[in-house]
Amino acid sequence: MATIIINGTEYTLPEGERLNAIQAAQRFGVEIPYYCWHPALSVVANCRMCEIQVGSKDPKTGEIKMIPKMVPGCQTPAKDGTVIVTDSPEVRSHQAMIMEYLLINHPLDCPVCDQAGQCGLQDYSYRHGQAIHRFVEERTVNPRKDVSDQIQLNMDRCIMCTRCVRFCREITRTNELQVERRGNHAEITIFPDRPLDNPMAGNVVDLCPVGALLDKDFLHKQRYWFNDQHSSVCTRCSTGCNIVAEENRGQIWRLRARYNPKVNDYWICDEGRSSYKSANDANLLPAMYLREGGQPREAPVDRALDTARTRLKEIARQGGTIAAVISPFLTVEEAYLLASYIKGLSGEAVLALGPVPVVGEDQTFAPDQRQGRTGDTSFVVPRPFTIRAEKCPNRNGVERILKHFQGEVIPIDRLRERAASTPFDALYITGGGHEPAYEGQEWTKLRDGAKFLVVQDVWPTDLAGTADVILSSATFAEKAGCYVNATGRLQYASAALPPRDGSLPDLDILAILAERPGGGPISSRDVLSELAGQVPAFAAVRSLDGPFPEFGLPLDGSEEPTPGMFRYVDPWHAPRGRVSLAT
Amino acid sequence: MAAFEPVLTRNFAVENSQSLKVYEGRGGYQAAKKALTTMSPDELVQLVKDSELRGRGGAGFPTGLKWSFLPKDRAETFMCVNGDESEPATFNNRYLLERDPHQMIEGIIISCFATRASTAYLYNRFEYIAATRVMERAIAEARAAGYLGKNIFGSGFDLEIYVHRGAGAYICGEETGLIESLEGKRGWPRIKPPFPAVEGAFRKPTVVNNIETLCCVPHIVERGADWFKSIGTPKSYGPKLYTISGHVNKQVCVELPLGVTTRQLIEEHAGGVWKGRKAKAAVPGGISMGLLSADELDVPLDFEEIRKTGCLGLGTAAVTVIDDQTPIMDVLYNTCRFFAHESCGQCTPCREGTTWFYKTMKRIKAGGGRLEDLDVMEQLAKNLGITPGTTICGLADGAAWPIKNAMTKFRPELEEYIRSHQQADKKPTALQEAIFRGVSPSLFDSSLPEPSEPLPGPTAPGHNPRVSPGT
Ligand SMILES: Cc1cc2nc3c(=O)[nH]c(=O)nc-3n(C[C@H](O)[C@H](O)[C@H](O)COP(=O)(O)O)c2cc1C
Ligand code: SF4
Repeated sequence: MATIIINGTEYTLPEGERLNAIQAAQRFGVEIPYYCWHPALSVVANCRMCEIQVGSKDPKTGEIKMIPKMVPGCQTPAKDGTVIVTDSPEVRSHQAMIMEYLLINHPLDCPVCDQAGQCGLQDYSYRHGQAIHRFVEERTVNPRKDVSDQIQLNMDRCIMCTRCVRFCREITRTNELQVERRGNHAEITIFPDRPLDNPMAGNVVDLCPVGALLDKDFLHKQRYWFNDQHSSVCTRCSTGCNIVAEENRGQIWRLRARYNPKVNDYWICDEGRSSYKSANDANLLPAMYLREGGQPREAPVDRALDTARTRLKEIARQGGTIAAVISPFLTVEEAYLLASYIKGLSGEAVLALGPVPVVGEDQTFAPDQRQGRTGDTSFVVPRPFTIRAEKCPNRNGVERILKHFQGEVIPIDRLRERAASTPFDALYITGGGHEPAYEGQEWTKLRDGAKFLVVQDVWPTDLAGTADVILSSATFAEKAGCYVNATGRLQYASAALPPRDGSLPDLDILAILAERPGGGPISSRDVLSELAGQVPAFAAVRSLDGPFPEFGLPLDGSEEPTPGMFRYVDPWHAPRGRVSLAT
Repeated sequence: MAAFEPVLTRNFAVENSQSLKVYEGRGGYQAAKKALTTMSPDELVQLVKDSELRGRGGAGFPTGLKWSFLPKDRAETFMCVNGDESEPATFNNRYLLERDPHQMIEGIIISCFATRASTAYLYNRFEYIAATRVMERAIAEARAAGYLGKNIFGSGFDLEIYVHRGAGAYICGEETGLIESLEGKRGWPRIKPPFPAVEGAFRKPTVVNNIETLCCVPHIVERGADWFKSIGTPKSYGPKLYTISGHVNKQVCVELPLGVTTRQLIEEHAGGVWKGRKAKAAVPGGISMGLLSADELDVPLDFEEIRKTGCLGLGTAAVTVIDDQTPIMDVLYNTCRFFAHESCGQCTPCREGTTWFYKTMKRIKAGGGRLEDLDVMEQLAKNLGITPGTTICGLADGAAWPIKNAMTKFRPELEEYIRSHQQADKKPTALQEAIFRGVSPSLFDSSLPEPSEPLPGPTAPGHNPRVSPGT
């Protein structure tokens, strides 16, 4: 247990927690501004924004002795007896001085800068800066350049915090970025013909506290403050990185990493970052369809659902064979509802796991602390980050449901073989991935394997074109629910977009088909509680009460809350530029 | 004074002083033999501690104390010999390397034995091509003679010395910048702690010492700590190489006991100020250390006394004399240009501050100066460096000190310079002035009257008192 004194107030840090002054102050609601420090990166103390006054209290005499000069907070471990002063006139005028320095060469082009609204310079200028500037000389303007096809570097806005350089050195260990030239002319740059194109490169844009590193994909498309921020989970692979989806006017504009110390730390991969595009795709199914006269014809939602429901019920009553394909892109709740609906129609019904896209091999980035970090005072050991080859979010969760309902997981290929030899009377197929899954002849053959075919998907695929009923469902962004990632962690993703015209979220489609009491939309949380009661693999959910845990819920084995597992967000990304740390 | 016998430079005038034979013939490598065969490393550290040898690289840190900071249980230690001598007007290390390389090697051998380092890197300034060649030849000779390599003097002690040519930057002389550069990285100083003694080159305990510091060590071993302490002034013992340059008749490097005065150096060794002029100011030990005014020329140049004049320290003991015809502004201009060029660009205050100084100086020299500029610079200089705690390394202090000293010691002259060098078209523009004074740019150049009070600063992010609804 360590007692530290911040601005005259004593606070107690729990046993075993090692923090630096920035982290400790943040923990107790005192803000120390900073730019270059980041918990996962080595401490370089070069922006000098976090300088504070530091001293120590003699445990015996109680006498406080201050160090006679300013010390960077990032470089100061919070030990027992550490005294920190963050609000003295000296500290304040130091902060104003740093702001004055940083703004010497920084163009005041906030009106056209993408970072505006979530910019460290803007926030701190208001809070710690001054309204005048004493610099009356010619400014140094460092050039703008591209560091890759995806990322633009506006060197004129750079404040040389070197977060991006350290990221490439220490986290991805790909070393694309470096500093070149000296002093005022120092520049971040790449080596000739070696662009910043590692699979996690986009994180440097999130890391940049100012508008220097910019994602060209987002460049000048939206103002940050018009975007609504939705907490979500990336569905691009089975790692399940936590993300923020930024939405405005019915479109997603970008995805950013959201901190989860148990999954992705502070990062997401570039593939995940660009996966939002599928939610905005112009080719998404615009309506529901019914097959009439050998052609799919647009049908009102209620009629399409009604047709599917009555036909399936009829086939079940006549004792027909029924099968369903549960896509690994469905949430746990949807998979559960679908499985229990189909099994409710016929106890003999076959449930298969939908196609699981696998691309390449798992790729792990093992950060190396020894690439930087002499004198580490963040005390955070950066963890490896894996981009998984399995390009779907919920195979793990769907398999758990399948095992519960029929004891085994039937892969899609086995179902296809069976359908080819003895066609089913009814087949219910779900999709919903980032790319159309059911394209080509090998899939249209399934049409012959079923007398009645329902396809619930977001894409107009070849197979859907042959279906009797096409139910237009939700993209990852249009639905809320839980996914189980590759390590068995249940995570909740909220919906970022309303349903498209002519579509319904999968959960509502299934609730209507299954004629659940109430007959209308249901909440994923209700379904989750229900399935937790039924499916032992989700027993961990039973003890949940209150809001869903911020960092997810491990389904197998329990997890003690680790000390120091607080939300991390750079202050300039926090609403109104202020971090509040909910535990 | 007369009894002072030069030791560091004793071989300089000897013919062929670089050769092993001459060095051995003059008693060379006897101290190393004595140290390695009759003393233990701890005894050596204690001896150096007793001699109160202080680092000659600039900071004047007690060498024995530095060596005793090495962790007791270390498995491997590196020695870095700092030969990146880049302080303007300093050339004493160069003499030591070029004229008596074996003295250097002997110093390294003893110091490495004392610190139990079996690898030494001699980090030589990039531009010191001759010195590098001389050292390489000498090392090969010493190796062939068994002074380097395995089991030196049968003591079981191994040592290899590698000469590393520097990266051509002043900042690579800063000890952690040197280590980074030695590791093949950009010479960006590291934060301390950890100090190199705990975690230095290749993450191993490392000693960084100046060339001259290590050259003193063989003589301490040979003649004892008491001899060493009989030279110099209290707390500043031993011989020191002083270089004198600038506006003097003879630019020289002389070995003298610590504590001579600038005037002695000028009069007795440099043949007086050139062209019969008088000295207006002098740099005591490299421009980073600040400026002495004419009436401070009798202050002893040692580690303690010089600080009382407001200078940063003794530095490299490289005295530069400035005659009474040279404007201090010109000195400052050159100084600022040097530091703006050499700042590594890591710390915000140093990166921006050194360039700010330089640009302001340029404008003042061009005739656009304002008296406020001096206040601004003085205020910036006061808050720049490791002394106020705003940067990582001491380069920023070096940049600030001459300005601080000039402002206190030569303020009237600087003001007069500004007044007498006015060029209307070189002044800051009216808009720049408006920003300087805090006049809203939107009011600038309009028919609106200027606000009589300074602009209110917004109090919270997103809160603009002038457009808040309902107020
Ligand atoms: C900007 C800067 C440049 C320096 N350059 C040199 C140098 O060229 N040579 C040197 O010996 N020490 C230089 N130093 C001092 C070193 O950091 C270090 O204090 C010294 O090498 C330690 O050796 P000593 O204890 O033997 O003096 C420099 C320091 C700073 C801050
Ligand atoms: S003080 Fe200047 S030279 Fe030293 S590390 Fe900082 S920026 Fe570099």
